[in-house]
Amino acid sequence: MAWLHTWFGLALGLVLMVVFFFGSLSVFDREIDRWAIPDTRFEPQPMPSFDKMLTPIFKEMQPDAAARAMTAPLADGPLPATFDTPRSWGAYTTHRDPVLALFASYEVPNAKDHETAIWALRTVDPRTGELLPVDRLKIGSEFFYPLHYSLTLDWKNVGYWIVGFSALMMLMALVTGVIMHRKIFRELFTFRPNKSTQRSMLDLHNLTGVVALPFHFFFAFTGLVIFAYIYFPITHTQLTPLHDRHEVLESKETGLPHDRAGVAAPIASVDAMVAEAQRRWAAKGMAGDVGFLNLTHVGDANGYVSVYRAGTDRVQLAGEGIHFKAATGELLREDPPPTVVARINEFLTGLHLQHFKHWLLRWLYVLGGLSGAACIATGLFFFVEKRKRQHARQGVSGARVVDALAVTVVTGMLVATLSMLIANRLLPDAMPAGWPLRGAMEKYLFWASWAVAGVHAWWRTAAVAEGRLAPAWREQCLAIAVLAMTAPVLNWITTGDHLLHTIGSGYWPVAGADLFMLAGAALAVLAARKLQQRAARPLAVKNVTLEAGHA
Amino acid sequence: MTSITLTPRHIASRTAVAILGGYAFTWGVIALGIALMYSAGMEFHDAEHLSYIIGLLVFLTAFLVAFATQALRKVALVLVGGGALMSALAWWVQGLIIASGV
Repeated sequence: MAWLHTWFGLALGLVLMVVFFFGSLSVFDREIDRWAIPDTRFEPQPMPSFDKMLTPIFKEMQPDAAARAMTAPLADGPLPATFDTPRSWGAYTTHRDPVLALFASYEVPNAKDHETAIWALRTVDPRTGELLPVDRLKIGSEFFYPLHYSLTLDWKNVGYWIVGFSALMMLMALVTGVIMHRKIFRELFTFRPNKSTQRSMLDLHNLTGVVALPFHFFFAFTGLVIFAYIYFPITHTQLTPLHDRHEVLESKETGLPHDRAGVAAPIASVDAMVAEAQRRWAAKGMAGDVGFLNLTHVGDANGYVSVYRAGTDRVQLAGEGIHFKAATGELLREDPPPTVVARINEFLTGLHLQHFKHWLLRWLYVLGGLSGAACIATGLFFFVEKRKRQHARQGVSGARVVDALAVTVVTGMLVATLSMLIANRLLPDAMPAGWPLRGAMEKYLFWASWAVAGVHAWWRTAAVAEGRLAPAWREQCLAIAVLAMTAPVLNWITTGDHLLHTIGSGYWPVAGADLFMLAGAALAVLAARKLQQRAARPLAVKNVTLEAGHA
Repeated sequence: MTSITLTPRHIASRTAVAILGGYAFTWGVIALGIALMYSAGMEFHDAEHLSYIIGLLVFLTAFLVAFATQALRKVALVLVGGGALMSALAWWVQGLIIASGV
C-alpha cells in the first residue's frame, strides 16, 4: 500500500494540486469575476423583467465563432449563416452575481444527429439591459472554475477524465495513507518545524492530510458523483433504450412535451408566470427569488416555461420548479417534493457546489481546499527530501525532476494566476485589430507565464542534483510576493477601488480579493525568508528514523 | 506486499487490472443497478444516481483489492468477468422492460 500511495500520489499529485487550488479559488469565483470586470462591481440584482428586457435580447442572440467551430464537425456541409429555430432560452443568476447569464440553444438543421444543438451565450446588466462586451472573461467562473474540474482541456472531455482519475487516486491515497499510519489521532498534534526539512515535511503532510480527512474524502467523492455521467455514460450507450423509454413516459406523466409540435405559437407574459410561481412558493412557506428561468421549445405550440427558485438558503440544489404552458401561461406542473434518493444526491452534490449563502462555511471550504493543496505539496517535498542526497550520490536526476515539477505546479501556478490578474488590469480595454480578444489574451498570458515559471523551475533546481535545496523555491516565492502586491495596486490605479474605499464601503468581493492577495504576498515573503535560513544551514543532518512503511 | 519484488511488468499488469478491471466491474455494477432498481419501480434518475454513488465506492474498493491481493489473475478474472456478466444481465433486464411495452 505504501508503494501505491507514493507513486500514484506523485503522478497525480501534480494534477490534484491544480484541482485543490483552483477549487479553493472557485469558492469565490463570482467575487473574482467582479475584480476582473470592474464594470460589474455592483450589488446582486433580482431577475429582471423577462418580457421587457430579456425577450428582445434573446431574439438578437446568435452563436459566436467558437461555438460554430465546435459544432461544424457535427453537421453535414456548412452551417447556416444564422440559426432560426431556438430550442431553449435560459437565464441564470446567483445571490452573488450582479449580472445575469443568458444562454440560448438552436436546432442545427443539417446536423448528423438531430439532437445536436448549438449554443449562444451572453451576459447582461439586469439594471439596464446592457450587454457585457463578449471579450470580457469572467476569470473566476469561466476560467478558474473550469480549471478546477476539467483543466480546461475540453477536447473529447479529456480534462474531465484526468481530473476524475485523480479524484479516484485521491480517495485511494487517503485510504492507503490511513492504513500506513493507523495512529491517526497522534498526527493531529505532531509538527516539529525545527527538525530536518524531511521530518517536518512529513509531519505537515500527515497533519494536513488528517485534519481535513473527512473533507477531502467527501469532496473527491462528490466530485466524482457530479460527473459520474461522463465517466460512466451508461444511460447514453448501453442503456439508451431504457433512458429513451423513461423520457417518453416522463413527458407523458409530467405533461411537459418532449418534442416540438411543429406549430408556431406566441409566448404569453413570462413575468406573469414568474409572479404566479413566486406566489406558489410563498404559499408553501418558502418565499424566494428566481434563480433559473428556462423556455423549452421556444415559439412552438408545445413550448413551456420552467421557473426555478434560487436555492441560496439550503444545501440541496432543489429548485422547486414550476412549469407553465408558454403560449397561454396555464400551469402545467409543479415539481413534486424530491424523493429520498434525490434528496441524498442533491445534498451530496449541493454540499460540493455550495450555492448556499453562508460566508463562514465558504471560508472553511477555502481552508479545507488549501489544506489539501498543502498536503499534496508537502508530500512532494517529502519525496524529494527523502531521495535527493541518495540520488546525488548515484548521479540520477529523479529527485531533481520531481522538484522542478513541484516548483512549477506549486509556486508556478501562483505566478501564473497572479500574472493573469495583472494582465487583466494592464491589457488595453479592447485589443487592436488582428489580436485575439481580451479574454483570450488573458488566458494565453496565464499559460505563458506558467511556462516561464516551469523553465525557471528546471533551471534553478540544478542544486537538487547535488543534494542541496533548490533556489527556485525562494525565487518564485519572491516573484509571488511582488506579483501579489502589484495586482491590488494596479486594481487601485485602474479602477480607483483601493482597499480603504472597498473596505469602507463594505464592498467585500473586491476588498476580499485584494486582501487575500496581500496576505499571500506576506506569506510568500515569510516562506522566502525561511527558505533562505534553511539554505544557509549546514547539510549535516542526521539520517532521521522514519516510520516503517514510508516508501 | 513487501514479499513481492516489483518488476515493471508486475507493476504494469497490476495497474492495468486495477484501472481497467475496476472500470469494467464498476460499469457492470452501475448498469445492473440502474436496470434492476428501475425495474423495481424506482424513478429513473434516482436509480441512476444511487447506482453511481454505490458504483464509485465499488471502484475504489476494487482498485485497492487489485493491489492488495496476491492472486492477480483471480482478481482480473473476477473484475472483468464479473463486469461483463453484470453488463450482460443489465442488457437482459433492459430487454425485458422494453418488451413489457407499457
